[in-house]
Amino acid sequence: MATLTEAATTRRSAQRTRRPRVKAAPYLFVAPFVLVFAAFNAYPIFFALQLSFTNWHGAGALEIIGFANYRYLLTSPDFWQSMATSGVLWLLVVPAQVLVALTIAVALRKARFRGLFSAALIAPFVTPLVAMAQVWIILFDQDFGAVNHGLSSIGLPTIGWLTTAAGAKVAVALLVLWRTTGYAVILLMAGLSTIPTEVYEAARIDGASAWHQFWSITVPLVTRTLSFVVVIGTLTVFQLFAEPYVVTGGGPFNATRTAGLYLYKHITNSDLGLGAANSMLLVLMVLALSLASIRLLRSREDS
Amino acid sequence: MKLGAAARYGLLTVAGVVSLAPLLWMMVSSLKPGGAIIASPFSFDPGQLTLTNFRSMLETIPIGTGFRNTAIVVLVKGALTMVFCPMAGFAFAKYAFPGKRLLFATVLTTLMLPTLVLLIPLLLEMSQLGWVSTFQALILPGAIDAFGVFWMRQVIMAIPDELLDAARVDGAGELRIFTSIVVPVIRPGLAALGVLTFINIYNDFVWPVVAVNDEQHQTLQVMLAALAQNIRSGQLGADWTSVWGQLLAASTVAAIPVLIVFVVLQRHLIKGVMAGSLKG
Repeated sequence: MATLTEAATTRRSAQRTRRPRVKAAPYLFVAPFVLVFAAFNAYPIFFALQLSFTNWHGAGALEIIGFANYRYLLTSPDFWQSMATSGVLWLLVVPAQVLVALTIAVALRKARFRGLFSAALIAPFVTPLVAMAQVWIILFDQDFGAVNHGLSSIGLPTIGWLTTAAGAKVAVALLVLWRTTGYAVILLMAGLSTIPTEVYEAARIDGASAWHQFWSITVPLVTRTLSFVVVIGTLTVFQLFAEPYVVTGGGPFNATRTAGLYLYKHITNSDLGLGAANSMLLVLMVLALSLASIRLLRSREDS
Repeated sequence: MKLGAAARYGLLTVAGVVSLAPLLWMMVSSLKPGGAIIASPFSFDPGQLTLTNFRSMLETIPIGTGFRNTAIVVLVKGALTMVFCPMAGFAFAKYAFPGKRLLFATVLTTLMLPTLVLLIPLLLEMSQLGWVSTFQALILPGAIDAFGVFWMRQVIMAIPDELLDAARVDGAGELRIFTSIVVPVIRPGLAALGVLTFINIYNDFVWPVVAVNDEQHQTLQVMLAALAQNIRSGQLGADWTSVWGQLLAASTVAAIPVLIVFVVLQRHLIKGVMAGSLKG
């Protein structure tokens, strides 16, 4: 790093004597990024922060009402229900995803036709979500859907996938799992590929069992990638919008109204100040969860 | 963990089938007469296949307009992203300049920011600018991609400084160095970014559904979601056998372009996804 900065400095001073206008060059190269960022990211975020302290409904002057929006949300059963719904979906999605993706990635590591399998696994990730959400509606229909058709043909009771609170959560969770697990597999494969094979050979010579190798070599060495997978999963679940929006519309009886969908409700109600406050709470939530996931997995790495 | 070969390939085959089954089911069922989707969802009778669902789908939604709008957004927004990301990445990788650390920290923070947070203020900004239901609104806010900048920086850092300095000695300007040395060298990384960008923009739903409320500017995905909602609320009638077929036909039509791109360029895509993990 030191040499890199050093090289950069000497190069810069060399350029300064030879080519004075080079100092403007980096700014010109980042200018489009900075402009787009300032106009459509930075400005809106500060605006949202400001709005979150107002009771604005989309017209008229901004009236500052202090922390009233935050107080309202933090004492509102609807807000907590939406958070709890996201929490339940997190529990349904993330642990299962880590387990399944890691198993598949390990199996894939030494398999032949790796490219073919990877392609099959990541195909759901590229398919338009809205299209697949429609397929889910049809597959999981209580009376005519293929899933219940399959269940009853092997003598199992049918389930009200989209009509009961528990069923709807499971159906949405399955859609998220189906779409994103392949992505996690590819990430984990990349992580696994950085483990030198010599480590396994040494362990084998020492007589380590397969399970022991997995638990004391693979898992610790892939922790960084695992924490990345957990963070991405957490971000995905707490921002979940399109899946419940299209598949269940948040129902039945708000059973799948996620944090993201609840936020959207403020927009349709024109409660923009309240919605902005909700956004800020969501940011804090997502940041806290991401940091906690990283912390948790790091401490495992240290021990 | 060492798995037996049989167990390994068994597991991978099951995973592959589970991944592809809903897609195949969608495509096959879209070609079945409506009643058959319900009565025998797992049957396959080639003699029965029909294009009826696709024909009635064309009557229900202006899918051509959806495709045109999506194409405009994908092309313009994709092109901007593909130009802006390597430019910013080049500046971050190969120059020292005041403000660089702060700017780069900004890029990293943007990666963690929930997109939903921007929804309300961005929508208000669009209405202040008079951009609601315009292509500008669909294109400009997403014309830069933090992951793209971050990743292009990693790719460009691998280019030896000597190569750039040699060109400077020969009298090449900085822009010239970027266009005729950097860009050709990073072409594989750029291809991966291109595939990821295409897929993201083509499939984008949340922003288009908020930013556009007229049919003229609706993208394909928004159109599809609207069709589904109309069906759920019973606006297209209670005859589910016919509407399900339409829904599957529309979904298939929306999925096929992106699946073709994926099949042709999947190596690049997987490389891009992997880059996200190794560098992240």
